[in-house]
Amino acid sequence: MGTKMKVKNSPRRILYLYWRLYSQQLKAMMEYSADFYITIGAAAMTQITGFLFLWVVFSRIPDIQGWGLWEVAFMYAAIYVSEGVGSLFFEGTWRMLRLVNMGELDRYLVRPVPLVLQIFCTGIGMNGLGNILIGGSIIVISLSHIDITWNLQTVVMAILLFVSAMTIRVAINLAANCSAFWIRSGGNAFPIMIHNLGEFAKYPITIFSQGLQLFISIVVPFAFVSFFPAAAMFGKEPWSYWGWFSPLVAIYFVLLALLILRIGLRRYESAGN
Amino acid sequence: MIAPAFKKYVSLARCSMQNTLAYRLSFILNFLASFIGLIAMYSLWQAIYTGQVQLSGFTWSQMQAYLLVTFFVNSMLSYYSESSITSKIIDGSVMMDLLRPIQFQKARLAETLGSCVLEGLLSCILIGLAAIFTFGISLPHDAGTILLFALSIVSSILLKFSIVYLSALLCFWTTSSFGIYWARTSITNLLSGALVPLAFFPGWLQSVAMVLPFQGIVNTPVTIGLGMTEGTDALQLIAIQWVWIVLLWLLGKWMWSRAVRQITIHGG
Repeated sequence: MGTKMKVKNSPRRILYLYWRLYSQQLKAMMEYSADFYITIGAAAMTQITGFLFLWVVFSRIPDIQGWGLWEVAFMYAAIYVSEGVGSLFFEGTWRMLRLVNMGELDRYLVRPVPLVLQIFCTGIGMNGLGNILIGGSIIVISLSHIDITWNLQTVVMAILLFVSAMTIRVAINLAANCSAFWIRSGGNAFPIMIHNLGEFAKYPITIFSQGLQLFISIVVPFAFVSFFPAAAMFGKEPWSYWGWFSPLVAIYFVLLALLILRIGLRRYESAGN
Repeated sequence: MIAPAFKKYVSLARCSMQNTLAYRLSFILNFLASFIGLIAMYSLWQAIYTGQVQLSGFTWSQMQAYLLVTFFVNSMLSYYSESSITSKIIDGSVMMDLLRPIQFQKARLAETLGSCVLEGLLSCILIGLAAIFTFGISLPHDAGTILLFALSIVSSILLKFSIVYLSALLCFWTTSSFGIYWARTSITNLLSGALVPLAFFPGWLQSVAMVLPFQGIVNTPVTIGLGMTEGTDALQLIAIQWVWIVLLWLLGKWMWSRAVRQITIHGG
């Protein structure tokens, strides 16, 4: 990485750059307004059908291993919202394949702007807006159906859990899409496979085998996006204290993702001229 | 006279099969990605069935068979085949097809069927493996059911193609394919009975699903394969599948004739 010119990357500068890069993409995006509405609508529809599925299942049974409809709906929605945040604000991670295969990363490497920031702002997934709107509503409705005593501690915890969960999801997206450095074929489905592991975290993870539980808690920590936050919020023993590990897991996975990106970059062959 | 016309499409199908083999890594990864969904659903239903003998007429062993058959049907004509139709439209290579003496709709069907052969084989292997680890799956025993089941699977693939083709043509009016793909998938999954058997639906939703074409994709083969629909009832369901196939095929033909007027190709 050619960082010959040292620029101080203060948080303020990063935020400013992010905003500038992001608004450029937004302008490009608005050129195709039909797509804009279709993707938002499609994302919303996907979630509504997902919720209908839960509702149909729970109309036949009272609970799944002690988890009621709204508690599972909360986890379901948490996964969708995190997907939405990943798409709406960090969609660029999903464009890594193109960046690497077309050699577009060259352009990014010579700019005095942090590489990860530029990758994040390579695109905007408007489907994210649909995810956040519907997923957010489901979360709010779920919380209103569940008895939680709101005090300073629960509010702080909720914020902490939310920020960690979103960070973990974006880091997972970044790490998975770095596979582009190794798998060069046009339709790399590896990131989609990792993305689909999120399916496991839509339900109480105790329904899965022990190995799988460990896998989605540590290796690809989707459980910290939905299950552990839910357990912490709803006081589900014995996992209610695991939620406090969320920030640590977030830091661990961000570092891991950056490490994978760095190793991947060493394999990157630029497109030449 | 029919033979040479047919031959073109057979070679298209073969081409698409070879294409799939050439990109086998992404093909297999795509497949494993949907297999993850199957494992999640399997565990979920297993947890749901603890302490339950029967839900909406489904025993646990029937539900296991339902999940496997659904996976099989869904893996036919996967995203892989679907995106090969939409990307032709999005990137403009549809122009090449306009120059050739072939019909777009038939050509895409031929290609889809070609890769369906491999998709079918791969999912049979995975389902076989899954079946080894899960016991007590109820599968059809008598020859009549197996025959009807096979027939309904073939019709289901054709029906799914007709629906996918229509939604793919919508890409002529939009400039990206993801939104349409997501919308189609979520509607198909819910109303075909792929997420949850239609028998679980409340009455009104079930009636809505039954008058739409989607139920022919999953519900028909599943209920026939599990022996829940037999004899003339099964034949009736297959007949409904065919009514939809013909109707949607004609609709696809009409839409194509409108869509080609919509083409914008930049450069050349």
